[in-house]
Amino acid sequence: MDNSSRLGVFLCDCGNTMSKTIDFSAIKAKLERLDDIDYVAISHDLCLIKAQEAMQKDIRDRGINRVVVAACSPELHEHTFMNVLQRAGVNPHLLSMANIREQCFWTHPHKEKAAEKAMVQIVLAINRARLLEPVEKAEIPVNQDVLIVGGGIVGTEAAIELSHLNLKTTLIEKEAALGGKLNLFASLYPLQITPEEVLASKLKQVTESPNIDVLTSAELIDVRGQAGNFVARIKRGDEEFVRNFGAVILATGYDAQFASQLYGFETSTSIVTLSQLEEMLKSPAEIKKIPRNVGFITDVSDEHSRISTLSALRNALGVKEKFGSEVCILCKNLKVDGAGLEKLYHDCRNRGVIFLKFDKPPKISEEDGEIHIQVEDVLMPGEQMALSCDLLVVEEMVIPPSDSETLRSILDIGLDPQGFYQDNNIHLYPTFSNREGIFFAGNCHADLDLIRALTEASNVALSAYRLLAQGRVTIEAENVMIDPSKCCFCLTCIRACPHNAIREVQVDHEKRVAQIVDLACQGCGICTAVCPAKAIRFKDWSDDQILAELELVGAYL
Amino acid sequence: MADNGFEVYLVEKEPTIGGYAASFCCKATEKCSKCSVCLVPEKMLEVAANPQISLLVNSELVGISGEVCDFSVELVQKPTFVDPERCIACGICTESCPSEPSKGIYLPAPAAVPRTYIIDKNQCLRFKGDRCNICRDMCPTGAVDFEQKPKKRRLKVSAVIVATGFDAFDARQKGLLGYGRYPNVLTGLDLERRFNAEGSISLPSNGKAPQNVAFIQCVGSRDEYIGNGYCSQVCCKYAMRFARLLQYQNPEARVTIFYIDLQTAGKGFGEFYEECKGAIRFVHGVPVEVSEISPDELEVRYEDPVEGKVAKETHDLVVLSVGITPRKDSWDLAKVLGINLGDYGFFDTQDPLDGTATNVEGIFLAGTCQGAKDIPESIAHGVQAASRAIQTLTARGD
Amino acid sequence: MNTEGAFLPDIVAFCCAHSAYQAADSAGYLRIPYPENIRVIRVPCAGRVDVLHILKAFEKGADGVLVLGCHEGACRHISGNIRAKNRAQKANTLLEEIGVDGKRVEMLTLAQNQGLRFAQIASEMTERIKQLEGKHNA
Repeated sequence: MDNSSRLGVFLCDCGNTMSKTIDFSAIKAKLERLDDIDYVAISHDLCLIKAQEAMQKDIRDRGINRVVVAACSPELHEHTFMNVLQRAGVNPHLLSMANIREQCFWTHPHKEKAAEKAMVQIVLAINRARLLEPVEKAEIPVNQDVLIVGGGIVGTEAAIELSHLNLKTTLIEKEAALGGKLNLFASLYPLQITPEEVLASKLKQVTESPNIDVLTSAELIDVRGQAGNFVARIKRGDEEFVRNFGAVILATGYDAQFASQLYGFETSTSIVTLSQLEEMLKSPAEIKKIPRNVGFITDVSDEHSRISTLSALRNALGVKEKFGSEVCILCKNLKVDGAGLEKLYHDCRNRGVIFLKFDKPPKISEEDGEIHIQVEDVLMPGEQMALSCDLLVVEEMVIPPSDSETLRSILDIGLDPQGFYQDNNIHLYPTFSNREGIFFAGNCHADLDLIRALTEASNVALSAYRLLAQGRVTIEAENVMIDPSKCCFCLTCIRACPHNAIREVQVDHEKRVAQIVDLACQGCGICTAVCPAKAIRFKDWSDDQILAELELVGAYL
Repeated sequence: MADNGFEVYLVEKEPTIGGYAASFCCKATEKCSKCSVCLVPEKMLEVAANPQISLLVNSELVGISGEVCDFSVELVQKPTFVDPERCIACGICTESCPSEPSKGIYLPAPAAVPRTYIIDKNQCLRFKGDRCNICRDMCPTGAVDFEQKPKKRRLKVSAVIVATGFDAFDARQKGLLGYGRYPNVLTGLDLERRFNAEGSISLPSNGKAPQNVAFIQCVGSRDEYIGNGYCSQVCCKYAMRFARLLQYQNPEARVTIFYIDLQTAGKGFGEFYEECKGAIRFVHGVPVEVSEISPDELEVRYEDPVEGKVAKETHDLVVLSVGITPRKDSWDLAKVLGINLGDYGFFDTQDPLDGTATNVEGIFLAGTCQGAKDIPESIAHGVQAASRAIQTLTARGD
Repeated sequence: MNTEGAFLPDIVAFCCAHSAYQAADSAGYLRIPYPENIRVIRVPCAGRVDVLHILKAFEKGADGVLVLGCHEGACRHISGNIRAKNRAQKANTLLEEIGVDGKRVEMLTLAQNQGLRFAQIASEMTERIKQLEGKHNA
């Protein structure tokens, strides 16, 4: 322990409620007898401003530089007391708290035992306080440019929003034109605007913005570095060049694939995929023979896709409008959990679209250009219905874009079991990857309708803005630190870190060691636990601090 | 918004932030069900710790004037008779309160933010006419103030985000389903609260664990007839998560879900469904009537798709999967703010692609007050509203 | 042991700040009683807990150790809870090798709003270890 350490203990009896059974004066007396305790004070309401001001004064006047607060839960008031330390000129990490309210007084009806336990908790918090170290803040300059991979509607929208937030973006798109899937859609039902209108509006904003650099026919081939300072290598035609970014947004969309193996047939003039139908609907004048009966089939290759249902519904409406055909949709469950989707379903019905729900996949055969379907309607079980149509539109599975694995490995982020980008925790932080500064939006990571996808575009734009807007980020410097003299570069921590926050650093011409990247570190301590050489010290949660809390097990004072 | 340097006034009608979701339960079995409920207390604590955010609870917006970047907003704060600057949440008041069966002074929720006690005039003996000063006398910091009056506040703000949430569909509107008449008919919301309070479900009629549960989907949703022609998006998911949880706690229990279309889209939910579908009986068809055979037995009447005729079966617990509907007071708020109500009574958006813009520049919408969505999407929508607000203000040099 | 003579095993509970520690607080708010012999140690993630810490707990007198973290699939640090589970198993194996059996280390999961569950875990663990001690004494 540091010789110059002066330890102050602040006890709070929560409005005298705890002092009925816990003798705070006795505790104070016992503590004052300990060698290294310089000051013990009892308060009744440390969470109120007045008491905090008194505490602040005590700390300053008495030169206290290690503080123990025995009161309520740190989850509730740790930040409050850290602020008090800060204002008193003491590093806020030199605070240790004993939770004698929520985790002692309130849950232990046997008052004597509660009192004993409280004393133990306070002593342990003091043990811990002796071993605390200051953690300073540092400012790291960050590059304020954002790289967006994917020039579909989501990537474009993110670029536009970042532009409105005065941040510059580089938008790279592997195709020759921006727009992604919206270039292929024939409609955006249930929205009443057309894909052309949306694209025109967005592209205009992109072109007019001085903040957006569009690189079409371009690919990302390498990324080094960490949040705030990514170095990206981009390839465009024969050219390769390097640019620096503070954040990376992936908006690479999805691919649509017809599961011909599952269905047992290929597409033909009479059997088309939804994508092919959309092409037909976009240029109806080129259709030689307008189909009289169109059948749609979904939920065979993937019964849990929202886009699949949406695509079928809006194109069914499109067929009604452009061709006037009879339309029947065969499905298992209509996924209508999106804005306007229930209404779209009703619009289809009102226009005469017939819906037929099955449980077992229908049997399909083709004969002389006519498609014959045998299906068991769930409302008429046991009976096989026979339908025929001259055009069958088959669903496509929504699969991850072809570059997912490549980008995943370039960026060192995770994929989910289906190959889509893995959220930090599925549903819990949907647009965040496990790495600081790398975000995803849109269908490259989830099955989203346009409105949801655009909400995500907004989200990632704001996430990037939050990180980069100030041009510098305040971080805790070296809270977790690897001792280069002990590190033998076994790579265990680098592999174990869930946030890719540890990098390799050349110490001299022979030795490489691992080093924590403060900006990317999220303070889990997993590296500290896995290091076989115990070369990593986590100042806020060190081994000796944790072990110090294991004293007095079973002993009562 | 606070994280990006803005000062925020968070105005909340109730005594605590968090809305409905703060009262929901964790639905994990041997692994997380991804219901996202645990995100809510986390967000609440973040708000509490953020110095840029001022919490104005028990407050309602009653007037607004001006325009974007220069709104003047009038609030009225209801008295709770407890001074939040003095309350330390010690709990002595509740312990001492003589009111039965419910206390007159209490913490609105265990994880309430702000963590301040309140007096409920409807339960408090003093407000009902008795001479009682016990809580005031017992309070160690003198936080109880029976003289507290409603407070008017005027704030100058650059933008307003409306995030007033939803109301669960009132299942009593579907009288034939028996809610409010038969004790063993509960709603999804009831289930959330009971699980939270007790960690399990027991039949209201006899306290035993349910053995034969029926979930009825789309109660109040996908129902153009009553003006709710939309899918509430959350009910199939919560029903299946509850079904799984019930069976995890009681492997012998049988669970039936009566549905129209199963909403199984959403990241990871398809897998969840595949894992639990074998243990749940799904019936394609929603019952029209629930009646009581005995206090512990309910009869559910539905059209059996297999037999093609009306069928009846017995269950001990019937759960009505109620959906998300606009709040009854949306109309009042809309009038005050000068914004429009749109489809089905939710707040209307100007741009079909952007669910956050209203017809008034500088006033934005976030969350379920604009339309049904689940918790992560409500959060995402809130972030979107913040993003739009910041963009608008940035454009105007604010 | 406690002063009254009725044996209460000493249990050390390493609680992840994100979930279990808050659940313990929640038990407090709900005033749900659980045995006093539970010693809660706050950690930033269940994955911070090392086998060393678990073994030290026994060395210092613990009769049982709980490692409490987020539900499977909910760990903010992706693998923290999984690592904790593995380490708990490893610790049990090591303990058995030196003659301390009974699976005295348990890794369990919960969410931050499950105060009731925390109290149940504390009570059940206490009871289970108590039974073990009973067998030993016999």
